Amino acid sequence: MTSAQEPEETATQPSRPTPDDEVRIGVYVCHCGLNIAGTVNCEEVAHFAAALPNVVISKDNRYTCSDQGQELIKNDIQEHKLNRVVVASCSPRLHEATFRNACEEAGLNRYLFEMANIREHCSWVHLHEKEKATEKAKDLVRMAVAKATLLQPQIENEVPIARKALIIGGGVAGIQAALDLADTGYHVYLVEKDPSIGGRMAQIDKTFPTMDCSICILAPKMSDAGRHPNIELLTNSEVQDVQGYIGNFKVKVLKKPRYVTEECTACGDCVPACPVTAPNEFDVGLVTRRAIYTPLAQAVPSTYIIDKSICLNKDNIITCDKCIKACERGAIDFEMKPKTVELDVGTIIVATGADVYDPASLAQYGYTRYPNVITSLEFERLINAGGPSGGRLIRPSDLQVPDTVAFVQCVGSRSERSGHLYCSNVCCMNTIKDSLLIKEHWPDTQIYVFYVDIRAYGKGFEELYKRARNAGVVFIRGLPAEIIEEKKTNDLWLLGENTLEKQLYKVNVDMVILSVGIEPKQDSEVIQRLFNLSKTSDGFFMEAHPKLRPVDTPTGGVFLAGCAEAPKDIKDSVTQASAAAARAGILMAKGKVTVEAVTPKLIEQNCQSCGLCARVCPYNAILVDKELKTTEVIEAACAGCGTCGAECPFDALVMRHFTDNQIYAQIDAATERDADKKIVAFCCNWCSYAGADFAGVSRTQYPTSVRIIRTMCSGRVAPKFVEHAFARGAAAVLVAGCHLGDCHYINANHQTKRRVEKLWKKLERLGLNKDRLQLAWISAAEGEKFASTIKEMQNIVETVTREELENTKKLLREN
Amino acid sequence: MPVRLWRKPLDAEKIKVPKAEIHIIKDRCKGCGFCIEFCPKEVLETSDEFNQKGVHPPKVKDENMCALCGFCEAVCPDFAIFAIEKDCKGGC
Repeated sequence: MTSAQEPEETATQPSRPTPDDEVRIGVYVCHCGLNIAGTVNCEEVAHFAAALPNVVISKDNRYTCSDQGQELIKNDIQEHKLNRVVVASCSPRLHEATFRNACEEAGLNRYLFEMANIREHCSWVHLHEKEKATEKAKDLVRMAVAKATLLQPQIENEVPIARKALIIGGGVAGIQAALDLADTGYHVYLVEKDPSIGGRMAQIDKTFPTMDCSICILAPKMSDAGRHPNIELLTNSEVQDVQGYIGNFKVKVLKKPRYVTEECTACGDCVPACPVTAPNEFDVGLVTRRAIYTPLAQAVPSTYIIDKSICLNKDNIITCDKCIKACERGAIDFEMKPKTVELDVGTIIVATGADVYDPASLAQYGYTRYPNVITSLEFERLINAGGPSGGRLIRPSDLQVPDTVAFVQCVGSRSERSGHLYCSNVCCMNTIKDSLLIKEHWPDTQIYVFYVDIRAYGKGFEELYKRARNAGVVFIRGLPAEIIEEKKTNDLWLLGENTLEKQLYKVNVDMVILSVGIEPKQDSEVIQRLFNLSKTSDGFFMEAHPKLRPVDTPTGGVFLAGCAEAPKDIKDSVTQASAAAARAGILMAKGKVTVEAVTPKLIEQNCQSCGLCARVCPYNAILVDKELKTTEVIEAACAGCGTCGAECPFDALVMRHFTDNQIYAQIDAATERDADKKIVAFCCNWCSYAGADFAGVSRTQYPTSVRIIRTMCSGRVAPKFVEHAFARGAAAVLVAGCHLGDCHYINANHQTKRRVEKLWKKLERLGLNKDRLQLAWISAAEGEKFASTIKEMQNIVETVTREELENTKKLLREN
Repeated sequence: MPVRLWRKPLDAEKIKVPKAEIHIIKDRCKGCGFCIEFCPKEVLETSDEFNQKGVHPPKVKDENMCALCGFCEAVCPDFAIFAIEKDCKGGC
């Protein structure tokens, strides 16, 4: 085991003063008014710090983050030739950047700064244990000084960004994002799986709350996108492969043949000639199309397409040439082949949209058994003037206009038993809009809406709801338990309980419209895999931060827009699309991006090219060629989780700014005194460390025994760190990370789980109490959970015996 | 789930697809089987009967399936098969 004081190998480029000089640390203990000083004796801590090795000066002041506080640090750097700075104050998640900038302004590399969190992790959570809190603050400073001693200057890498964007999905979100970026001046590739762009919005009749005609406002945008000199449309195409990283993605797109060339004028002469038919997907199968068709009149591109799955011409044999004969311009070409194009892009926006819930699985509603039970999407096509019935709302059984109509809300939404737990966001307003549309055309229609809650939360939504009620739409709280069909008439009975009036109802209607929810695209896993995205438990793509980075993904350079991220209405999709375009635009305008210098550095002479690191890397950022014995770290693709460093058995990967030696030094410092009374906790930066911060902000009290070591990801925690902590006599060790599936490094915490499970086995094998090592998944919002975890572990600390501790030390040193 | 198309399209009765009348001149057939092999709708099959040449001429499985592409007519080396559009004015 390397001693904590050995010089590191991580230095990249020297900065002023050179790292070889003697280490001169300045420590600043912040009172934060009374936030810290009210509990911790800051003077005593500063005094203690002054005696630590390599500390040249140690001061305490009221607000270190204030301008005066920062000036003090800057002056001291100059005056005392400080080459490391430690500030003991709040969470680095709050002010690390502030102090790093101050150091940089004074000519010190920003990576030569370290923080001790004595507010969120100490004074706020031990309000009534002043002495113990002061002792803990000393330990935290000792740990920070120990790490600071080993800090090395780092140069942040700059990555160039190609000024081209790829947008996946040609719905309204994709179109908006494409137009925004193209108008800014960037070249945009817009990839759409279907033959035309337009997406779901093109299928909808009117939009809420303004009752605008959906296609009337969308079609101009569609043709703008089709005509824009900066937009290259790739319809009938699918993304097949993505390689590369932020700024430098290489994307393979499969362009499937249309069998109709751009010579097509969309005259439609070919259609009546075609002898084969199929239901038109665009009209939800309510109307027939031919093998040669265009999904909608406003299609962009307006070129027709041949559906080869039903066309008579198979295997390059032209058996039927009727469309060829009908086409005056000779635009039909059965020789077309699928083509793979390679695109080099700098940024990517995923706007793949969503599917609608299939209510057939809800047997009580009888969808697919009763012809007059339709979905809200079918309704949109039926009420649409361009739809199968020319805008005449008819019921499928007898094609007559219904006199009474019922809407059933939350079909597939807000239920754990049937469908999805989440609210689909748009269905309430969509139903209100639909009910008004019916009232507009057929004012005498009796309309019932069966609902759970009406969620009219947006601008102008409540007014529309009121309009519907004033128009005579009857809203009944309580979903029908069952829908029964009358065999002769195909009329429907809805049976259920009106929960407001506590009365059973039995309502007879001509037609039922199921207000179906939105669900993730069935093939969203393909996109997830291609782009290394995370999903929420609902199955929608996860944003990098739900509040402050809502359109970013954890993968650099990839952004989200529209329903791929969560169910949302058109306005929100457009807003998000513009936001995603702006975020992508920022990157491309800069033309380069700096990557935080927490990436691994390869020590080539140690590397055996075994490939273990590449296997655990969530970003495919390590390329190992076992035959040529070469290993390469693609720094721009790396996010710095450090799980490779934890995996490497040969110490060939040094995680910059979170090196093994720095972490050992922190463990050593934490266990220097009274190790037998302490819990060494490894917390990931994004969830568990933030969760501990949140416990502090909420003033949730817990025992003072815990000493937190921050790593970027719990995947950085190598088993040897845990063993080292036990070998140093720590009573207990906690490894805490994001919940499985919520990892900020895609899935790196699965490695954490695997390693801890392995360690448990080892402890058991050695006859040790495996409960002394705990694994906890604590999110940034779970301050309570962090506190309760520490409270539970305190029992372990109190029950562990001296013999057991000595035994552990001995066994772990031997093994 | 993507939208499942289960409903019979509302215009299914109205859509006009030409109906065929298939004529086979059995005694011209030499039994090469091209028409059966290449029919994209698999409308034809070998019959059990013998013609004058002693081969099995094709027979129609289901005339309604014929899309009137005319490929059998084009591919037949003996001009033994042709399809014409049925006159459906009086209903088919």
